[in-house]
Amino acid sequence: MTNRERGLNILHFKDVDRLPAVHFGYWPELLTEWAAQGKIPAELAVGNYDGSDKERELDKLIGWDFNWFHVTGYVQSLYPAFETRLLETLPDGSQRVQNSFGVIERVKPGVTSIPSEDDYLLKDREAFETLYKPRMQYAPERVDTAYYSKFNDLRPWDVPVGLHMGSLLGDIRNITTVKGMSYLLYDEDEELFADIVDTYAEMQYKCTKKILETGAKFDYAHYWEDICFKNGPLLSPAKFDELCAKHYRKRNELCHEYGIDIISLDCDGVIDKLIPTWVHTGVNTMFPLEVGVWGDQFEPARRQFGNEALGIGGMDKTALRRDKAAVDAEIERLKRLVALGGFIPCPDHRLMPGTKYELVQYYAEEIKKIRL
Amino acid sequence: MDNELLQEISLNLQRGKAKVVKELVQQALDAGIAPETILREGMLDGMNIIGEKFKNNEVYVPEVLVAARAMNMGTQVLKPALEASGVKATGKACIGTVQGDLHDIGKNLVKMMLEGKGLEVIDLGTDVSPETFVQTAIDENCQLICLSALLTTTMDVMGDVVKKAEEAGIRDKVKIMIGGAPVDQAFCDKIGADVYTPDAASAADAAVELCRAMCE
Repeated sequence: MTNRERGLNILHFKDVDRLPAVHFGYWPELLTEWAAQGKIPAELAVGNYDGSDKERELDKLIGWDFNWFHVTGYVQSLYPAFETRLLETLPDGSQRVQNSFGVIERVKPGVTSIPSEDDYLLKDREAFETLYKPRMQYAPERVDTAYYSKFNDLRPWDVPVGLHMGSLLGDIRNITTVKGMSYLLYDEDEELFADIVDTYAEMQYKCTKKILETGAKFDYAHYWEDICFKNGPLLSPAKFDELCAKHYRKRNELCHEYGIDIISLDCDGVIDKLIPTWVHTGVNTMFPLEVGVWGDQFEPARRQFGNEALGIGGMDKTALRRDKAAVDAEIERLKRLVALGGFIPCPDHRLMPGTKYELVQYYAEEIKKIRL
Repeated sequence: MDNELLQEISLNLQRGKAKVVKELVQQALDAGIAPETILREGMLDGMNIIGEKFKNNEVYVPEVLVAARAMNMGTQVLKPALEASGVKATGKACIGTVQGDLHDIGKNLVKMMLEGKGLEVIDLGTDVSPETFVQTAIDENCQLICLSALLTTTMDVMGDVVKKAEEAGIRDKVKIMIGGAPVDQAFCDKIGADVYTPDAASAADAAVELCRAMCE
């Protein structure tokens, strides 16, 4: 069986010879670390991204079958994006930078973290109409139709490949910041926020349709949201449903028309309260099912939604920083979830610095021994 | 009449109506209501209700953020009157996101909640070194050091802060609280911090208890 067949069969509750060893990529710092330790060739630590040739070479070295996150899409965000520019260098060496979303960030050279947000531009209707709305429209430049018309000859057929459809709220949260989103939604202009979501969603629908109309074949469609954290969603589930459900439904129906029945969504954090909106609108595959300090999220979803809830992820990647016993314990825990069907174990996010190379090899080897 | 006005302040604060809260606080002052009464029975009442609802998942981060903003705007109006009447803070804390980590939403939420409970809070910002936390606690006589981290790669810095506080000989004078996505009670125990709380509202409750206990 190919890894594509293994992956898709599991998600369709069909037989497979074994579990595939699936991962979700690496923090660049980890690859640098492994190269410095002499575990991997230095050239594999640079330019190694999801689905790249270098990643496939590294997969072979480690023993992985493939990176699940093998997707392609369109220009999903603002078009044209804001020009990234340095506004100011502060006395402590940090820099105030306007990023491609128009958000003013504080960046500290040498600190490997997401920058903090100082300010943002999308605060009112005027900013939306003049600065943002024109950048949220469909444009032919957003979709590389020439590429998609040859896509079926170019794409790999031995691994599942997905169509990335963008995000309904994740990108908008990046544009307004969490604070700005909160102020607009609950104090200043809820109608404006809904208009932003509608405008953005309509553009994404058109781009998705344009790609599908080329005849390009995908094994799944995919969203990214990242709208949850440790204590649950960043906004109330009711509000999320009110803003997003209709758009998910419309886009997912489009996918169904083109024969795509696996629709996955990437959201970190505790996602349980948003799963109802996703499942009811046709999103059926949760990814990467972060385990964090809160534990398994897949089994409760399966209990609630039956086979409508599929999962990829759910493997506590921190075990790969500890020892063999921790990895063994994690594999034992995962076996129970695998037995439920419709679930493919995968580290619950990018592997981070401090992850032990030999433990990753060991995990990849052991996970392939699991029979369904 | 006074009660109605205080209730209005509390309700509008819960709804995050910052401008309205600001106006109502001014009205209350003009009506001769004691600043401490406005603070406790109006604004803190509203923040306490929001905090409880947040803990119970009845409201989410946005509602807390807008309520906290309303609290801040109300406090701007109230502060001169509070200072003039000699109202003291419940306690004093320094707060920050640990070195190597630039995330600040969680830290800001906790800060707002602490202020909402009447604590004086020194915000050290993000990417804060262990030395800065400890030196600030010494210089400013803080009873609490509050540490936030989002990343698994930076959470270990929390342990460094505990060690620095021990080296500086202030562990019996200051309590160290931790929070953030990758940490839990087991991690708190492991590094020798005093309190872990799972959310911002619980952090504020715990902070008040700690300050009260340290004052006894």
